[in-house]
Amino acid sequence: MLAASVLSDSALEHYRGGFENPGMFAPLASAALALAGAARASRRPARPAPALPFGAACAVGAAGLGFHTYNLLRRPGGLSWGNLFYAAPLGAPVALSLAGLLGLAARELGRGAPTLARLPRRRALGLLTAAGLAGTSLEAALLHFRGAFHNPAMWLPVSLPPVAAALLAGAAAHPPEAAPRLTRLARACLNATAWLGVAGVALHARGVARQMGGWRNWSQNVLSGPPLPAPPSFSALALAGGAALELP
Amino acid sequence: MARRPRTGGGRAPDVFARGGWVPMREYPDSDEVDFAIVGAGAGGATLACKLAEAGFSVVVLEAGPFWRPLEDFASDEEAQQELYWLEERLTGGLDPIALGGNNSGWGVGGSTVHFSMISLRFRPEWFRARSLLGYGVDWPIGYDELAPYYEEAERALAISGPLRYPWGPPHRRYPYREHEMNAAGLVLARGAERMGVAWSPVPLATVSAPRGKSPPCVYRGFCNFGCSTNAKQSALVVWIPRALRAGAEVRDLAMAGRIELDAAGLASGVHYRRDEEWRFQRARNVVVAGYAIETPRLLLNSACARFPQGLANSSGLVGTHLTTHAGPGVWARFDEEIRWNKGPPNMAVCEHWNYADEGKDFDGGYAFMSQGPLPRAWAQLVATSQNLWGMALREAMLDYNHMSGLVAVAETEPRIQNRVTLAAKRDRHGLPVARVDFAYSDNDRRMQEHARRFMGRMLEAAGGRDLWSSEDTSHILGTCRMGASPDSSVVDADGRSWDVRNLWICDGSLFPTCGGVNPSLTIQALACRIGERIRRLSARGEL
Repeated sequence: MLAASVLSDSALEHYRGGFENPGMFAPLASAALALAGAARASRRPARPAPALPFGAACAVGAAGLGFHTYNLLRRPGGLSWGNLFYAAPLGAPVALSLAGLLGLAARELGRGAPTLARLPRRRALGLLTAAGLAGTSLEAALLHFRGAFHNPAMWLPVSLPPVAAALLAGAAAHPPEAAPRLTRLARACLNATAWLGVAGVALHARGVARQMGGWRNWSQNVLSGPPLPAPPSFSALALAGGAALELP
Repeated sequence: MARRPRTGGGRAPDVFARGGWVPMREYPDSDEVDFAIVGAGAGGATLACKLAEAGFSVVVLEAGPFWRPLEDFASDEEAQQELYWLEERLTGGLDPIALGGNNSGWGVGGSTVHFSMISLRFRPEWFRARSLLGYGVDWPIGYDELAPYYEEAERALAISGPLRYPWGPPHRRYPYREHEMNAAGLVLARGAERMGVAWSPVPLATVSAPRGKSPPCVYRGFCNFGCSTNAKQSALVVWIPRALRAGAEVRDLAMAGRIELDAAGLASGVHYRRDEEWRFQRARNVVVAGYAIETPRLLLNSACARFPQGLANSSGLVGTHLTTHAGPGVWARFDEEIRWNKGPPNMAVCEHWNYADEGKDFDGGYAFMSQGPLPRAWAQLVATSQNLWGMALREAMLDYNHMSGLVAVAETEPRIQNRVTLAAKRDRHGLPVARVDFAYSDNDRRMQEHARRFMGRMLEAAGGRDLWSSEDTSHILGTCRMGASPDSSVVDADGRSWDVRNLWICDGSLFPTCGGVNPSLTIQALACRIGERIRRLSARGEL
């Protein structure tokens, strides 16, 4: 789901950028491969999924972060608010790496590995998704700040997911039976965050409608309005967080 | 095409809908309203809103039409010339000012309909220019008195600006975030960084995110004409709808001709012409907000037995001390494509010489901005400044997408001989037309030369080649200056005439000095302050 979100978002944004650099095709290809790998793994859970697409997504995401940082710093003003708002977004390539990491984690889990990155599986996956939620929320904060929080609903994705992330990190640190209330609370917040991702698409669609010409001028306004593919990344991470809590 | 008034019959055009209407309260001419305001621009519309919201009965008389942006503002440079005050005026002096396009608006919203949305505050020291900086004249109010109203105007206009503006005292964050910088702005930014001086995105009165019925700016670049999307926060879409909701009446195509005085020497109302008919609106107070030419013209045209020199003119200063912003420009060709028509025309600013006083060979200051002229305006500038015509002009125009340039907003000295007077010639309403005489001082010329040199160095630092320069003027200010004493000014710090205590002025003609930035934000801040002062004076029974 995260890979799908990254694929469509990077397709839109890099299309908007006119694919000025051939490297701008890489995240599309990589996210598509990761998506295919995930689809295959979910269709045939018995067979081990290949690691390559997910590893590649991690690598392309890391390279993308380098490119995006270079793009930001070489502009006049350097590390300024204007460039953070409008230069290549730093959070987007990180999301691709995150999708890759989640794919690798899922693969390890599918193989029945007892630990992930030498941590208990529940804790490792919980911390990874909590960090992802917090990072995604940070990106939403930056972009909603750029939009001057003109709609009060724009505060939701910067307040709810961090709470869910904190609860998830806390709950994942213990076995489920050790903190049942915390786990229940974390699960409830993660569910709400998952729905927030759905509601976010509807709100972003309304944001597109508020552009000049509204949906009648969709071909332009889908590009210039709030990005439709962005909010589902919250759903994806919330579901992964929920999955972490299912682990013993 | 002959125009017919749009307001009346209990309704006014809805600026946010094609063919739409909003309800409007109306007053008969015979009703003595609390305020008759002449002019619906940055000063008049803002004050109408403030006074109506304070509970006063208000009628606004506007010589031009009531536009509906969605249907009237075409993406056509030629068609949009109708937004300017193009009635006959005479110009003279050693450096006659070109009137019309660059400095005079016509219609509800006034010049804010076609202003370039630059919303900068004055440098605090300018309010005491004579005492602190040694030139010009002191204002009767200080920056601290105006600061809350600057903020009020910035919130009302939802200014999209940078988080930190590098010049002036710190103030509350602009309500909306800065726009994405266009390539023309990046040229200034690059040059400024290479020269080691500060630059900034321009705080602009066009929204960078949705606001009410205004969609965010689509960067179509027609900002120096009517904004057909309503992203521009002009007086027409900000103050006028608020004023109408609060019960003000706006009469469009209503040309004021004369202010009437009663036997006690107080203003009793305004004679105005609408639908080919002269009418008289009675009023307890009259506010003149016609900008720096039409305001003194109306006061001079209202001369009567008691005030043979014109109303509010016992000091003899009405129409004098006209200032303008000189606009020297420097232009260069760049190897890369700039496409400077994209986005608002002025996106990056350098106010270095408004705030640095060392190393100047002149008094006063100037700001300069990146530029984005549309093709017709650019062709006109190339033709008149470079004397190119025919094939040579055509070839120069082929460089349009590779050009970039900087234009200054340069302060000129207030001098008594630069003035607006009445000519013998009469306009279509039978009123004497204005004659505008202007000449630069030596100081004004030195400042422009300094600006040309500095901007040229910046363009070269940014990689520009084949530089050339041009001349222009913009905003006109200061013909009915506010001041601390009746001998040296036309009105007091509240915009109230020293001579006729129920006659007020509220527009750019109040400015004792013109500063080195665009004046619209200061005009609106002054109007907010005057509105608040009138409310307080009324509450104390001192109106």
